[in-house]
Amino acid sequence: MQIIIQGLLLSGLYALIAMGFTLIFSVGRVLNLAYGAYLLIGGYVYFTISQTLGVPKLIGLFIAAIVGCMVGLLKYRLLVKPLKGNHVAVEISTLILAVVLQAGVVFIYGDSSKILLPIVAGVTQVAGASVTYNLLAATMASWTILIGLYFFVRKTHVGRAMQAVSMDTRGASISGVDPDKINMFTWGLSGALGATAGVFFASYTQLSPSMWVAPLIISVAVVIVGGIGSIIGTLIVAHIVGFMEVLAVAVIAPELRGVFTMLLIIGVLVVRPQGLFGREEL
Amino acid sequence: MSFLEVDKLSAFYGKAQALHNVSINVEPGEIIAIVGANGAGKSTLLDSVMGLTTVTGDIRMEGKSLVGLGSAGIVSSGVGYAPERFNLFPYMSVHDNLMVGAYTARADIEKNLTTVHQLFPRLKERSKQETSTQSGGERQMVSLGRALMTSPRLLLVDEPTIGLAPKVCLEIAEALKKMRNELGATIVITEQNANFAMTLAERLYVLESGVIKAQGTVDELRNDKRLTEAYFGH
Repeated sequence: MQIIIQGLLLSGLYALIAMGFTLIFSVGRVLNLAYGAYLLIGGYVYFTISQTLGVPKLIGLFIAAIVGCMVGLLKYRLLVKPLKGNHVAVEISTLILAVVLQAGVVFIYGDSSKILLPIVAGVTQVAGASVTYNLLAATMASWTILIGLYFFVRKTHVGRAMQAVSMDTRGASISGVDPDKINMFTWGLSGALGATAGVFFASYTQLSPSMWVAPLIISVAVVIVGGIGSIIGTLIVAHIVGFMEVLAVAVIAPELRGVFTMLLIIGVLVVRPQGLFGREEL
Repeated sequence: MSFLEVDKLSAFYGKAQALHNVSINVEPGEIIAIVGANGAGKSTLLDSVMGLTTVTGDIRMEGKSLVGLGSAGIVSSGVGYAPERFNLFPYMSVHDNLMVGAYTARADIEKNLTTVHQLFPRLKERSKQETSTQSGGERQMVSLGRALMTSPRLLLVDEPTIGLAPKVCLEIAEALKKMRNELGATIVITEQNANFAMTLAERLYVLESGVIKAQGTVDELRNDKRLTEAYFGH
């Protein structure tokens, strides 16, 4: 029971983590290897604003999302757009950027990891399993954001334009959609989602300069296993990954938490390179 | 001043030049056809009006230059495009494909959607179907419908009947005539099939290797022996 509850809760959080990465991959066709850095930024901005300065938590979360959004917009303008079309260059430079940001965090906050106080304190029992309010809140926030995003993408003009750009950029252009603006919007949205996820992720684990790596692996796994990202596909694969990790921790050893996720990536790449649900949908 | 003036247009894909000094005039409410063989530059001409190529020369609609506005800006200026390969959004429903066309014309959605459904009742019946599962004729209808959703005053249609069954060709031709007669759109189509072009258009331009070789009304060109042999087959 504990495993099922933990698996469900963690998977919801993982879906939120992977969503921003999936969006960029499907709309901009860019594997943003600096994606984990949004989580790093989000976590540390929240830490500074809410834990160090004592600003209310919701405001801290909001500011973290705004900063993530700004970083996303800057990254698109200064890096991705000038390198347009050169995917390898974009991927290498985004990865380097993440390492540089990590060094920046070490410089400002030091090397050691920090404990982020729970956003919502306390523990409760769900069907006999003990669950922290913090993880419960994170999962509920994730689901709320994901459902909101789903309807945004399906039902609004901008959301449909994002789908359109992801499926046929030329078709979008001749329908009056400016792919450049849609890409820019998606980068901002992705940054905000990543930073938000970072606050929840850091409060679930801890805050450390290298905390961008694990979420990046989760995100890559979700995109590769799920195929070109759809919101529903992201949710499904996030649950596969989440349950695998919870099982690995409970049954084998906590040290192996991420290993199975990485093995899954390699396995899917070898057996079914187009992903389990691969098709160009948002 | 004509409605659409393509003025000494040369177009490039990278370094390759696909059009050489092409000039075309279209009057308001006309249907004209650009006729030519595969690779003559017909699609390039329409792509260029839509801002999808690099050009020298000028393209003006109602006296205002379209060059440099970008595709999105050109769509907002009132140009709709139904390209040869349709460029539809395969995993979106018919309805959502049409709604993307409404991106810059949100005030007209109700009116335009009614028009599209009147022209192509099948699109209303299949509004929830994904376009990836549709036939060529249905996709052509979605493509024309999406272009109409942009509230165009000028409609560009690349090879409207290529690969379609004769019955569907007639349906598309009827729809294009209604768009002109009832909606007042000015229409430019391209065609490999000159006979079909003549049933629809009032005037033709003949394009060969990126150069305009002949132009005139349907009657004028029908009597031109050189052209009859090259393009009309008999």
